Amino acid sequence: MSSAKPVPPNSTMIEFRDVHKYYGDYHALRGISGTIRAGEFFSLLGPSGCGKTTLLRTIAGFEGIDGGAVLIDGKDMARVAANKRPTNMVFQSYAIFPHMSVGENVGFGLRRDPRSAAEKARAVEDALEMVGLKGYGARAAHALSGGQRQRVALARALILKPKVLLLDEPLSALDKKMREHMQVELIKLQRQVGITFVLVTHDQEEALVMSDRIAVMFEGEIAQLADPETLYRRPNSKKVADFIGTMNFIPAVVIGETGGQIEVEAKGLGRALLDADQCPAGQGDSPMVGLRPETLTLMYPGQTTTERTVDGVIDEVIYFGDMTYYDVYLGGTDVEVRLSMRNTPGRPILEVGSKVDVAWSASALVLFR
Amino acid sequence: MAKTTSVLGRSEARSGLMLISPTALYAVLLLAAPLGTVVLYSLLTGGRGVITWDFTLANYIEVWTGPVYRAIMLRSLLVALSVTVVTVAIAYPIAYFVSFHVQPSKKSLWLFLITIPFWTSYLIRVFLWKVILGYNGVINSGLLGIGIIDEPLTWINYNVGALVVTLAHAYAPFAILPIFVALEKIDRSLLEAGQDLGESRLRTFWRVTLPLSMGGVIAATLIVFIPTIGDYVTPDLIGGGKLPMIANLMEVQMLKINNKPLGSAIAVSAMVIVAILSVAFVMVNRRFLGPAK
Repeated sequence: MSSAKPVPPNSTMIEFRDVHKYYGDYHALRGISGTIRAGEFFSLLGPSGCGKTTLLRTIAGFEGIDGGAVLIDGKDMARVAANKRPTNMVFQSYAIFPHMSVGENVGFGLRRDPRSAAEKARAVEDALEMVGLKGYGARAAHALSGGQRQRVALARALILKPKVLLLDEPLSALDKKMREHMQVELIKLQRQVGITFVLVTHDQEEALVMSDRIAVMFEGEIAQLADPETLYRRPNSKKVADFIGTMNFIPAVVIGETGGQIEVEAKGLGRALLDADQCPAGQGDSPMVGLRPETLTLMYPGQTTTERTVDGVIDEVIYFGDMTYYDVYLGGTDVEVRLSMRNTPGRPILEVGSKVDVAWSASALVLFR
Repeated sequence: MAKTTSVLGRSEARSGLMLISPTALYAVLLLAAPLGTVVLYSLLTGGRGVITWDFTLANYIEVWTGPVYRAIMLRSLLVALSVTVVTVAIAYPIAYFVSFHVQPSKKSLWLFLITIPFWTSYLIRVFLWKVILGYNGVINSGLLGIGIIDEPLTWINYNVGALVVTLAHAYAPFAILPIFVALEKIDRSLLEAGQDLGESRLRTFWRVTLPLSMGGVIAATLIVFIPTIGDYVTPDLIGGGKLPMIANLMEVQMLKINNKPLGSAIAVSAMVIVAILSVAFVMVNRRFLGPAK
């Protein structure tokens, strides 16, 4: 697949322009706008019913849209049928044709390919080799395991060298070990072929691991579109922060703004100065600051830190093997935060009721208001 | 350990036999025994109402060499094949429509409507076709009444075409239901996959839907073909006795002429022919009947 042309950085592959979709009275897509860049691994992430699969299907052409436009490689897809679009899909059920062999499945889309039968057979063999199923061509498709089916579905789509590969929750049917293995394989495959991948998933961890950029969707809208680190460190709303990973929410009061910085007073933590990028646009809620568990550190006796500290009492200890989670009441208040500590040698697991100091840093805070 | 297993195995086998014994008894008494009797009869010497215990193949020789038997057997095959082709060809689009274009909540209603003809007796349905297609039937008197024709049409009644129409109508639900079931089992994402991989809807039908529903088509074919070849009422009523099929011939030999050995030989021969044709048909199409889900 070295023939894949290098794509100019940041060129647009897919563009959504105010896309709307209704099912009867139900407003499934509520004005989706955004771009997917050529050659990137893009994820649509959200809870079930948020419209992520519908959006994917509008790219494939299985769903029409009731407003706006979907452009692929600069062309409006409004009048382009599914079988004429430069996209191929890996279905959630894999949709392997049960009456065909593995090789026939992979070669399904090559019927109109002008190459000779021998060249096509060679292409099928190459595609199977790429997904690690070399020599499986003659096998009956219905006799394959879940992981193998998925590889066949991948080979069947990639052999057509689409501009965009669409993946509809492709890993959800696999067990945990296999899923983690396939995540890495998919990343490698995507780099190897250089095709734009668009993945639909409800698994935030999967999206963080695999994607160059992620669109988080709720109720038919994109709540935030950003790279994984930004999404995790600087979520733009409480909802996104809550959906991705664990976030401690602490009631806070905005004291004032000085020189582009915002001063807040968080219950149990005290005052802190936040930069503008830590304060996404307001949602109209009562203000809260958010803190990820790993940005808080438990101070062991004799340890010192340059960060600010606050005293607390351990309320709960949750042991995870490599990590321990502590639920701690801060500074004699009813504010409870969860923090995570790596279980390194010589670091004892503390007991419920212990008085501890917790180190924290204002730069790790996000303000939601 | 080995002993325990064998004891267990034996008791399992015994309880298994106990469980199937009512069915087995039924099968032996009502299927195997009559069949054995017919085979036995076919090998005996018979005349008008007389049967002697002399074993002979004379009945079979007569059946397989006599031109009348061959002509009637060929007519039966022709009628059954035509009925099967017409029925399946009509049933497939109906089954397809119900499976793919009827809302899931309304499918049961549609199936119920399709089976409504079964509410009337087979005999009455056949007779009604006689009323519709007959010389003085609904079509003829209607067309005469409005002056389109001057004398009754004769090509719509008492011929093979009329037999085919009647039988195709009678067996349509038997063909629709298995095809519907086969279509229902097809994962709809397979059809989207076909289009996603560049094929039109029509091509996807040829490459995906049709092969995956062939199991139902094969079942429908056999379900229609096997009973129609032995049909006895329709040739009598619709054919007006001028177009006997193999079952009518058996009736004549068994009851009117009272030559049970010859009648039995016809029955066994017809059964063998149908069995061979059916097995051959299934063998030709066996690639569609694989373990595919």
